[in-house]
Amino acid sequence: MLETAAADLGWSSVAESAAAVAGGRASSVKIVEATLARIRARDPLINAFTAVTDQRALDRARALDRARERGERLPALAGVPFAAKNLFDIAGLPTLAGAKINRDASPARRDATMIERLEAAGAILLGALNMGEYAYDFTGENPHYGSVHNPHDRERIAGGSSSGSAAAVAGGLVPFALGSDTNGSIRAPASLCGVFGLKPTYGRLSRARTFPFSASLDCVGPLARSARDLALAYDAMQGYDPGDPVCAERAAEPVAGLLEQGAAGLRIAVADGYFKCKSAETVYAVDRVAAALGANREISIPQAERARAAAYIITASEAASLHLDRLRSRARDFDPAVRDRLIAGAMLPASLIVKAQKFRRWYQGEVLKLFAEVDAILAPATPGTAPLIGQKTFTFDGVELPVRPHLGIYTQPISFIGLPVVVAPVPLSPLPIGVQIITAPWREDVALRIAHALEAQGVAAAQRPPA
Amino acid sequence: MPGKAKTARKAKSPARGAAAGTDDSIDTLIAASALALRLPIDPAWHAAVKANLQLLLRHSALVEEFLLADETEPAPVFRA
Repeated sequence: MLETAAADLGWSSVAESAAAVAGGRASSVKIVEATLARIRARDPLINAFTAVTDQRALDRARALDRARERGERLPALAGVPFAAKNLFDIAGLPTLAGAKINRDASPARRDATMIERLEAAGAILLGALNMGEYAYDFTGENPHYGSVHNPHDRERIAGGSSSGSAAAVAGGLVPFALGSDTNGSIRAPASLCGVFGLKPTYGRLSRARTFPFSASLDCVGPLARSARDLALAYDAMQGYDPGDPVCAERAAEPVAGLLEQGAAGLRIAVADGYFKCKSAETVYAVDRVAAALGANREISIPQAERARAAAYIITASEAASLHLDRLRSRARDFDPAVRDRLIAGAMLPASLIVKAQKFRRWYQGEVLKLFAEVDAILAPATPGTAPLIGQKTFTFDGVELPVRPHLGIYTQPISFIGLPVVVAPVPLSPLPIGVQIITAPWREDVALRIAHALEAQGVAAAQRPPA
Repeated sequence: MPGKAKTARKAKSPARGAAAGTDDSIDTLIAASALALRLPIDPAWHAAVKANLQLLLRHSALVEEFLLADETEPAPVFRA
């Protein structure tokens, strides 16, 4: 039984792994050993990991197995492996945030709150995951730690900045991973790698002991191969944390038990106007999802283009402020593509930034009105499937645009006001693409129910990549 | 006028593009900002910094032309 569980581990779900451990059909140590073997075999092809915490994971697994032998009741995620984008603090490791500069940082003394909560629920951390430098990236190309390769086509990008998180999950290295999303950094790689991703409501999950990017936009969340796995990880991480000043004082609102309610009775519309993409795969994915949900209605998100512009400005200025001293002292150690954006952000007049912040208030008020009419809005996650590694431009609606800043064209107007979103992957050939399921603040449950319903209909799925 | 609801609207906008600046003015802005902020900029980086700043200013122009009521509160850190 143990051998069977280990052999299947590469594609087993969070729920299956936890049930196997709790039921004595697999030991945590066997699961961790199989995961480590898979990382050793597969990660050189994908480049998702920047550190593997093998000893820590084995120690943790042995402790769980001993607890089971003593007859103790195991927590919900007992024995489930996961890994975290390397902007989450991991005790004993420097928090790289994808940067060469951060190699010189002191090792973290304590894990990020999200890692602590997942381990309290029995999950086992397997390591730190590659990402775009300082999260200012949609591609997953990193000059210091190498590009992350898309498991569905290793010549192509994984998307970023949570590139390692999406690739590790899509490649079957871990069943779920932690990422962060400021402008789309969970949603874009989830779409390009064909996995599920949850960007929760701004303030829902604690960012304590994570390396920031743009403080008024930063969120953290899970990526996984099913809506249920997203929900299980998300439920384990919820709850107020005084360590993050913007973490909402809200009790946990568990979702996993609500998934079977499905999408029946929900009012679902498709975003029109700005979100009407012309690329064939994007159109197909949104249409397929809308048809499966009976979403015949279209809805306009007002001033979405301006919202994206304002998000762009705020991100540039907040990130530039964060890195100003490093730009003075170690400019040559940055990824040049990130450095030049940050320098430009530092030069933006404050009067324009404040205007963007005022626009944000107006836009938030207008968009929230839409949720009196609908429960969820569907929109593309990315303007196409994964571009090639090194590709500088792509054609979007007949116009050639730079890849790096434009992969988030559909995600930025949504995270700009902190809305929760689940990306549901639509398995196309040869490459998958995701659809955003956008809901009102604090209604992650609705987005996850819809994603689960799409899975049940066979419309959304994380497809296993070629060996 | 306090208490009077004001509705934001699109500008008919003589201001469109006002934030975008001319080519020379961007060079001047970069040079002056680099000096004021004590940011060392290698001449080899100038073109990329300029392209990024021009993109930011184009985005800024799009936001700037949208008229908002004077009373509109900024939302630097907000509750969703």
